[in-house]
Amino acid sequence: MTISRRDFVKASGAAGFALAAPALLAAQSKEPIAVGTLCPLTGAGGSYGPDMQRAVVAVVERINRAGGIQGRPIQLFHEDDQTSAEAGVRAARKLIDVNKVVAIVSTWASAVTLAVRPLCVEARVFLIGVSGADAVTQGDHRGYVARTQPNTNTQGRMYARFAASKKEWKRIAYMALQTPYAQSFGEAFTGAVKAAGATITDSLIYEDKKPSYRSEVTRVLGTNPDLIMLGGYTPDSVVMVKDLYRAAYKGAILGPSFAINAKFIEGVGPDVAEGVWNMDRAPLFDSPAYKEFVAAVPGGDQSPYAPQAWDHMTLVALALAAGKGEVSGTVIKDQLRAVANPPGAVVYSFADGAKHLAEGKKINYEGASGACDFDQIGDILSAPFIVQQVRKGKNERVTVINP
Amino acid sequence: MFAYLTAVATLVGVRSLLTLGLNVQWGLTGLVNLGVIAFFGVGAYTSALLAVGGTSILLAWPAAVGVAAAAGAALAMVALRLREDYLAIVTLGFAEVLRLFLLNETWLTRGANGVTGIPRPLHTVFAGRYDIFYLGLVLLAVVLAYGALERLRRSPFGRVLRAIREDEIVAAVAGKPVFRFKVQAFALGAGIAGLAGALFAHYLAYVEPNMFLPQESLFVWLALILGGSGNNRGALVGSAVLLGLLEGTRFAKDVVPFLTGVRLAAAQQILVGVVLVVLMVRRPEGLIPEKTESN
Amino acid sequence: MPAITQYVFNGVVTGGILALPAVAFSLTWRLLRFPNFAVSTYLTVGAYAALALNVGLRASLELAWVGAVVVTAVTALAVDRIAFRPMRGRRPFSLAIASIGVAFVLENVVRFVWGNDFRSYDVPVTRAMLIAGLRVGREQLLIFAVAIALMALAQTFLVRTRLGIAMRATADNAGLAAVKGVPTERVVAAATLGGGALAGGAGVFLGLDASIDPLMGGSVIISVFAAAILGGIGSGPGAFVGALIVGIVEEVGTLVVPPTYKTAIGFVIILAVLLVRPTGLAGARS
Repeated sequence: MTISRRDFVKASGAAGFALAAPALLAAQSKEPIAVGTLCPLTGAGGSYGPDMQRAVVAVVERINRAGGIQGRPIQLFHEDDQTSAEAGVRAARKLIDVNKVVAIVSTWASAVTLAVRPLCVEARVFLIGVSGADAVTQGDHRGYVARTQPNTNTQGRMYARFAASKKEWKRIAYMALQTPYAQSFGEAFTGAVKAAGATITDSLIYEDKKPSYRSEVTRVLGTNPDLIMLGGYTPDSVVMVKDLYRAAYKGAILGPSFAINAKFIEGVGPDVAEGVWNMDRAPLFDSPAYKEFVAAVPGGDQSPYAPQAWDHMTLVALALAAGKGEVSGTVIKDQLRAVANPPGAVVYSFADGAKHLAEGKKINYEGASGACDFDQIGDILSAPFIVQQVRKGKNERVTVINP
Repeated sequence: MFAYLTAVATLVGVRSLLTLGLNVQWGLTGLVNLGVIAFFGVGAYTSALLAVGGTSILLAWPAAVGVAAAAGAALAMVALRLREDYLAIVTLGFAEVLRLFLLNETWLTRGANGVTGIPRPLHTVFAGRYDIFYLGLVLLAVVLAYGALERLRRSPFGRVLRAIREDEIVAAVAGKPVFRFKVQAFALGAGIAGLAGALFAHYLAYVEPNMFLPQESLFVWLALILGGSGNNRGALVGSAVLLGLLEGTRFAKDVVPFLTGVRLAAAQQILVGVVLVVLMVRRPEGLIPEKTESN
Repeated sequence: MPAITQYVFNGVVTGGILALPAVAFSLTWRLLRFPNFAVSTYLTVGAYAALALNVGLRASLELAWVGAVVVTAVTALAVDRIAFRPMRGRRPFSLAIASIGVAFVLENVVRFVWGNDFRSYDVPVTRAMLIAGLRVGREQLLIFAVAIALMALAQTFLVRTRLGIAMRATADNAGLAAVKGVPTERVVAAATLGGGALAGGAGVFLGLDASIDPLMGGSVIISVFAAAILGGIGSGPGAFVGALIVGIVEEVGTLVVPPTYKTAIGFVIILAVLLVRPTGLAGARS
């Protein structure tokens, strides 16, 4: 009898985990539950995917060590979407039809999520990711889509709230990377800033992967802004801020924390990074979930999306555990808010949550990336934003902006 | 598994059609179009925008073909006065400009957001087995195009094109309006690429600018060269083999444990590059060599 | 609105960086008779070689630059031996396609080793100086000075040395040169090494001016081509001037056209030049 690929993987999995805990041997006797990751390992989002995938792998190790879902281990299938919608569709088809996953987690690019969404909805596979474009949760997805990143409208208004709070920033310019949400974020941001009484001196969208932004910088600096709101990712932000520094710009810079992070500071150097403001939806730094995440995923705290990926997998697992035996994307859809939203006993990990669920109690998962409470269309409910500033080469927490 | 294979087969079909279009330009007429993906994109967006705006598919698809062909004719009239290697760069640049246009002219193209909710023809009629229906549709298009292009190849028009490919000067001396024929061939290839684009857009029900990156043209070329540089059968075989290779290595990684993530993806792409170089060095005529036809 | 002179100056610096790969590309096109699309990835290879030396082995940037130049030159030679030499004399199209394959491989080898993350050299960023109302960066001056020096060096080599003259002879007519006893393969090797060296050095400049990632070469490819075509294929000084013009037009063009269309400007230049004066500024024989 030939050994199928599935048997082979199961066997090697059993060999690996057998050293970990006896509970797992019991788990191995049951059929594994297939979950797929679809992260950008190459392409434009290539610097974010690997950490997201690692976080998911780390969570699954813990879940399986804790006995899995009613004794059944989770088996992960990884695919690279190449930050391309078409490649993402082919990968998703393989995950859905060949690997028979019940959920696809940690998509990143809005284009990929949008392209893959109809497939998941049709196949009743749950889709959860970090894509920011408004269209991701709009339209008819029958509840099979959720995301842990606040939508762009919310983000724009929160950033504007902070920008308008400083009286010395009267002239504000907006420079953003060409992304599906640059436009909507920009509109929300500039609209809210103007309503608060400040002036928008320039609004500019720049191209990705340019070696230098000298002309863009020259144009914007010609309008004499006090503050430049920079909406991009780390790679382009590094180039842009270096060019701003070289052009002797002495005003303030505000950007998203997922761009202005330790890699950014390392990239531009502490002198150039000094004083750059940044903000983002606050992860719950003090929560046990975040601490467990940091311990389990080395370097994961440098990635803006790894904490979310961690939560994606935990939420999917908890929702399945709440399903009382039945395992499918529909169960996840039905149980997501039950395990993620209040009311309920606050839990910070799968192990904790599974224990409570086994006792018939209702839970409210608070994750590494935030409170993880979802509204009806799959967006997370508004959350506080943390404002940081780079001081002496490190990001320091300055204040919190509440919704 | 079946649905997965249907999906792959559909995409192979679409790609084959695109490669057939390129073959008209390169295989038949000897025109180097490194920007072939741009016409694919023009067709996709034309049909998508029209259909989303309420136009019937029966009008949207022919429009996609027409607009792509017109764009091809326009580019050809401007660029075809140039030498072979210049044409290559011009067409590459055109693809880049088109991508920027799709990305930036949001009033028309919806920019980076892309066009969502593209209607699928006869979706309600075939609800359950829609993927098979669409595969059938794509295969029908491929078969019709292949048949038509084979007829074309053997026709007087086709013979002139081949003469132009072999030696332009001789053809001109023989009294053929070389430039006019080249423009027509280029436009025809562009139109077929546009049809492939329309089929693509309505299959995915979503299009966005990054689907039409200039480097995608490379894969179309690779398929054509791999299958058999310059003949229609080669275009079909090459597309199938190439996509099969790309999809096949996807499964290999489930069994290759030491390569993960970026490394694996990079290794896959290195393989593609190496195959391309080896092909050009060792077997430039591809899997199905072109039969030289005596007149 | 800042004075247009600032834009012109910015363009001159960008052009200076583009000039090196443009010259390499232009000369090798003439000599080997095909556009070598791998030149853009030689930039990438050079930038990463310097990164390995500067950040990995803690070498000074100057030393790393020299190392990068050597490594890229050798890489270019290896590429020529493996991919292009077996195809000498074949039609340009096959070679061009092969060079695309090479570019793909090199880019992904770099990605395999270093991943997708952008990198930077271990050097401080400095504020620009204000000279006569213009913002002038320290690195910019250095880069431009070195670029000019290299151009002068290359031109001297081509005009004054035996190998350089042989190179030009072979470029003009390979068959005749072979008959007259000019060793073609040696000439090709020298040109390949020289072109690789120039591109590698430029890659370090690019990494210094912006940042380093696997796709960095691809981002300037159209501009490099535009510069070479504008200057006239085969003319070193032509490519240099062409690069300056392309750089300036791209920068000044952002006054008229949104910055996101900068790449399109290079393409328009190419088209315009080819239609009006296909042999470019230097008017070299096609």
